[in-house]
Amino acid sequence: MLSGLKVSAFLAWKSIQRGSRGTLALTIMIIALIFVNLVFLPSIISGVVVTFDTQSIDFDVGNLVIEPREGNQYIDDVDSLQRKVEQIPGITGTSPRITAGATFFYRGHNAASTLYGINPEGERSVTRIAEYMTAGEFLSGGDTGAIIIGATLAGMEGEEEGGLPSLQGVDVGDSIKVAYPNGETRTYRVKGIFETQSFGVDTAAFVTTREMSEVLGLDNQASAILVKTAVNGREEEYKREILSYGIQEDVLTFREKSGGFVEQAIQSFNIINAISTLVSLIIAIVVVFIVIFINTVNRRRQIGILKAIGIDQQIIINSYVLQVLFITAVGALVGIGLNTGVTTYLTAYPLVFPGGPVYPDVEASAILRSIASLFGVSVVAGYIPAWRIAREDILTAIRG
Amino acid sequence: MIVAKDLMRVYTMGRVEVRALAGVSLEVAKGEFVGIMGASGSGKSTLLHILGLLDRPTSGSVTIDGTDVLSLSDRRRTLFRLNRLGYVFQDYALIGELTALENVYLTSLVRGASKDEYLERSADILRRVGLGDRMDHRQSELSGGEQQRVAIARALVNNPSILLADEPCANLDSQTSKSILDLFARLNEELDQTIVMVSHEDWHKEYFCRIVTLRDGLIEEMVECRRGQNPP
Repeated sequence: MLSGLKVSAFLAWKSIQRGSRGTLALTIMIIALIFVNLVFLPSIISGVVVTFDTQSIDFDVGNLVIEPREGNQYIDDVDSLQRKVEQIPGITGTSPRITAGATFFYRGHNAASTLYGINPEGERSVTRIAEYMTAGEFLSGGDTGAIIIGATLAGMEGEEEGGLPSLQGVDVGDSIKVAYPNGETRTYRVKGIFETQSFGVDTAAFVTTREMSEVLGLDNQASAILVKTAVNGREEEYKREILSYGIQEDVLTFREKSGGFVEQAIQSFNIINAISTLVSLIIAIVVVFIVIFINTVNRRRQIGILKAIGIDQQIIINSYVLQVLFITAVGALVGIGLNTGVTTYLTAYPLVFPGGPVYPDVEASAILRSIASLFGVSVVAGYIPAWRIAREDILTAIRG
Repeated sequence: MIVAKDLMRVYTMGRVEVRALAGVSLEVAKGEFVGIMGASGSGKSTLLHILGLLDRPTSGSVTIDGTDVLSLSDRRRTLFRLNRLGYVFQDYALIGELTALENVYLTSLVRGASKDEYLERSADILRRVGLGDRMDHRQSELSGGEQQRVAIARALVNNPSILLADEPCANLDSQTSKSILDLFARLNEELDQTIVMVSHEDWHKEYFCRIVTLRDGLIEEMVECRRGQNPP
């Protein structure tokens, strides 16, 4: 058994070493490209999910969001609820938000978007918007006549209209007028402009809860309370924990808040990925099959001679399988190298999606899965033509 | 020892049946150098293929050293070829990707011999066939005569009980042919190597101990002779 494998390895190695270098290099390159294709798309899909999750947690809703129970517009007694939630182990911050649709006016331009009333200190403990100020400053607790707005809403002078809400070039220090849904209008000085690259956030604006409560006539009330947890990925556990404290309001994870959008997107991406994987693997099967088929047909006589001098058919078949394993292993290694190059490039120059910049997220499991499937299909595709020729009658094979 | 009885081999080519062997019985004793001769199409190569376990007869029996080789499974026939037979082909049949030395030690590798053992033995055989300085050359770098010597060395490396040679000199000039036949004669004399060789060259007869002449798939004549003398 062992000596048989030794002979298979010997024949395989000599064939690789002294066979056509061009064919070998081309086959390895094709396998490498198939490997890249197998790993690349899942890494982008994974990157989209990571981006969405990160953007949601860091800029939009935190890890969890507490909303008014059904039928209510606002959460009452916000301070007490915040204190209750903040005493739960693992909860690192809470921030109430008042949400209202508003129309913004600036130098003859207007845009309808979302205005949030926030507690600046609480917001810093939950979201990272304060770290993404591109001009001016973040809000302070005492601010009443100040507003910060997203870079998209601020817009640029001469920008084409009709797309996203844009005020066509608002700068820090400018004054903008805001019309509230209750008919009140206020003029605010722009204290800062932020850019998170999250579509929903960069089209919004923020004033303090103090200011917004006064305009809307609210007292210790909020549209939602954002909750930040110590660890990402355990939102369901924290949600159960919060509910166990007898909180009556609705508690949603950031994924639930998205209304199933991410799950639907992932499902669609997974279908595309499955089709792409299937096509790649079929190409791998066809390439390996053709290479080994041509190889064995060209060496039909040699296979006959090997059998004639007493080399077992299985040793001959195994020598081709070992060649395939070698080609696949080197192809996968080259593929890992190419993929590292593509990943490095896309990390430096990420793909831009509406949810934010998408970095390829190469998971070890995806690499292992791709390697395993490549090896699987290659061995099968290599074995069949080798087996077909090796079982041929000796004299027929020798006569070619 | 080879005992072949009533060997028949019928090929079907389309609707035509060709009788390559029509009932050949033959015994080859240990240490004999038997020449199988005959015109083209007489069945000599077919006989050698059957004795070399490369083909199966339509009917008849073959016993080699007491083993009924026709009843063996394909796997056991392969093992039998590996351990008991040496086969030299008309066109050398070397593995082009391997050097002379690698071609020779390949079958020893299958038998599980240690590296030292198979390298030493293969090199020794190559030296004995006069290729001590050509061991690392590949087939394309060797002349016809040298290639045939490598093929002979390969056939001998596992000490086969029988060496079968199918027109080993067919592609060689007369001087090279003579050196190959001298080599066979030496192996037969010095090592008591049993050799069955197919040939159609008249002048080869002086090397054989016995000459079996086939015609239309049947033994036409069987002549005992002494090496170095032309048969009667």
